Amino acid sequence: MSGGELTLGFVPLNDAAPLVVAKERGYFAAEGLEVRLSREVSWATVRDKVAAGALDGAHMLAPITLACTLGVGGDPQPMIAPMALNRSGAAFTLSRRLTMRMTPGESRRVALARLIAERRLQGEPQLVFAVVFPYSTHNYLLRYWLAEAGIDPDRDVRITVAPPSRMASKLAAGELDGFCAGEPWSAVAEDGSIGDVVMRASDVWRDGPEKVLGVTAAWARREPEALQALLRALLKAAAWADEPANHGELAELLARPDYVGASAGSIRRSLPAANFHRNAANAPLPVQAAWLLSQMMRWGQAPRELDLRGVAEHVYRMDLYNEAAAEIGWPPAPAAEFAEGFADGTVFQLDLARAYAASFPISRLGRG
Amino acid sequence: MRVLVVDPDPARAALVVEGLAGVHPLEVRQSPVFDEQEAALFEPDVVVVAADSPDRDTLENLQDASVANPRPVVMFVDRSEPGLAEAAVRAGVAAYIVDGLAPGRVRDILEVAMSRFRLMHQLRQDLEKAKADLASRKTVERAKALLMKERGLEEEQAYKLLRKLSMDTGRPLGAVAADLLAFAGVLKGDGA
Repeated sequence: MSGGELTLGFVPLNDAAPLVVAKERGYFAAEGLEVRLSREVSWATVRDKVAAGALDGAHMLAPITLACTLGVGGDPQPMIAPMALNRSGAAFTLSRRLTMRMTPGESRRVALARLIAERRLQGEPQLVFAVVFPYSTHNYLLRYWLAEAGIDPDRDVRITVAPPSRMASKLAAGELDGFCAGEPWSAVAEDGSIGDVVMRASDVWRDGPEKVLGVTAAWARREPEALQALLRALLKAAAWADEPANHGELAELLARPDYVGASAGSIRRSLPAANFHRNAANAPLPVQAAWLLSQMMRWGQAPRELDLRGVAEHVYRMDLYNEAAAEIGWPPAPAAEFAEGFADGTVFQLDLARAYAASFPISRLGRG
Repeated sequence: MRVLVVDPDPARAALVVEGLAGVHPLEVRQSPVFDEQEAALFEPDVVVVAADSPDRDTLENLQDASVANPRPVVMFVDRSEPGLAEAAVRAGVAAYIVDGLAPGRVRDILEVAMSRFRLMHQLRQDLEKAKADLASRKTVERAKALLMKERGLEEEQAYKLLRKLSMDTGRPLGAVAADLLAFAGVLKGDGA
């Protein structure tokens, strides 16, 4: 270990909790680590700073590690995800202007498809929805959910990008008709009577992928001991953050302006949406990475000739997770070939990921 | 030149104006936050933003070749962010102003950024076109094979028939071939 101070980046969101807890409750210190947390305002900046070494690692959208490694949206920069910080936690919020026009008891998705069809007939402009980044679980979950109702996310609506902390104000200003972002920003919109959550990540995929610890492959090779110490501290912190009894204290901590900077009430209410630890939530399962890759392929972000298993296992490093887990007495996570928990009953199989990517009626992959 | 400066501080836009003195016509607009609709109306040739702006993610999407009107984005970094300039160049950002905004360098940097962006955009379009041409050639080959099999035609005759269909309907050869394959699928009960 270099012995110097480490700097980790985070974006103001509830699921930065493992980093904040590890710092504030002394898990980093117990591992002999001196860690500075750097609050970042955009995912592009987080990615650039990690790639350049201005940050040693960061709270990161899981697909960023894959996009960087593949060189999608820039030159290739191999990154790895040695642990997941949480599963689930994102929510899709529609403006109250829209939900007011939905019938109680009607499926929100069916109602949305109806409203979109009505707008088209009346020649009204397309609805605008924001996600937090082109390479985000939010983008893929929203697209998946819309497409299941026959709504083509590229043709029937417009999907744009905005920073999570600005979503609620953009919704209030009418710049957006809906947004898919991490908490507490949906709770903030609801608490301000601006919008209503119509879909949570767990409504599509229970315990699906969300944030990871992202570091460059080069940094992991250069600092193996620092990385293991970091993982041990973050795993313990994640377990603490997952305990409902700790949520009051956690919400107060996250509410601070140097962390999330939102009301403790909104944070407290939205903390249970994320799973920080239960059911081996911190294991970076390559099968989850493969699902993300299948969606990147589906929407034309990733090349269709991709070796999904190869990339998934290269980026999602189960070996590094298991090494840290063993040190703190946690059971190793078995390599999973299947992913379950989809609300539509899908069982995603790693070996069939490419065929799965090509199987959707609404997709940017041509037939054949 | 039309320049959109996204920054809460009007001083930055003033620096850009100063650096672009002598450029005609010139329109520099300053906006505290990036507003997509406003930008679409203004149609800037280039967008200038601080590397630590919360609008970075939105602008990242704006540069994407798949959006309707991609624009080059130039970022500047303050000296307090060492290493970031290099990273952004690697990450495919059009250009970077390293030491904050110096009026003396603004013009060169914006011009280089715009020409590099145009070049990249052209390369991407050429690549897309090459891919589409290849896909269309494959489709034509498959349609030809289908006609040879189902109608007992020679390759030359099959090709002539496709050409005739294309000319009669005034549609590209690849599109006619794709239709033929799709209909054949329906007739065979593929459900298309």
